[in-house]
Amino acid sequence: MQKRYRRNFDQIQDIVGDTERFFADNNIDESLRMKVDLSIEELFVNMVNYNTETDQDILIEMRSIDQGIEVSLTDFDVERFDPTLAQDVDIDAPLSERSPGGLGLYLVLKMADSIHYQYHGRKSKITFTNSVAAE
Amino acid sequence: MFDIEISNSGVVAVIGRLDAARAAQAQEFLDALEGRCVIDMAQLEYISSAGLGVLLRTHKRLMAGDAGLELVNVNKHIADIFRYSGFDKLFTIKSL
Repeated sequence: MQKRYRRNFDQIQDIVGDTERFFADNNIDESLRMKVDLSIEELFVNMVNYNTETDQDILIEMRSIDQGIEVSLTDFDVERFDPTLAQDVDIDAPLSERSPGGLGLYLVLKMADSIHYQYHGRKSKITFTNSVAAE
Repeated sequence: MFDIEISNSGVVAVIGRLDAARAAQAQEFLDALEGRCVIDMAQLEYISSAGLGVLLRTHKRLMAGDAGLELVNVNKHIADIFRYSGFDKLFTIKSL
């Protein structure tokens, strides 16, 4: 599956629906849904929020792999930003020192079984996998 | 789908998917609350970092007045998100 989505949070509902259909059509284990939905949303939101110099749609691709799924998000005409290098979050910090910032990418890095970043020709592509085998 | 409502007993129910598209709606609702507040998550299917941010901001505001949020009826998937993000150390959480 590959589909382009406008750079707007109201697209999240469509993405969730398309992901649900892809899982069903490819008999992918539903236990992976929460992690996959979360990683897609966090990466999509990050692209919308921080790659503001473009109005091009974001491409999402899904591929069935052994006991799981591979997902890629590609952003066009943007500066390099490697989410795999996101700063760690101190989850043991007391409440007074906690802030919501950075938590999204931190969760993606924790939940994905593998994650890979490519940047070429002002095209930014992040690919992650989740599989039951790696659970 | 997302909804947030308060019962006659004062318990706040969050329902459906609390994602980036719905975080502002949830924040506006929770900003109106005062004192100790119980959030019933029995019908919460999904939460992302945007939703976690709403809970964190509200909890910090209420804790400044010696109150805070108590999260009840948390399902396994949501509990996993709380654990990954360290929220299990910040909130009183009661699982389903």
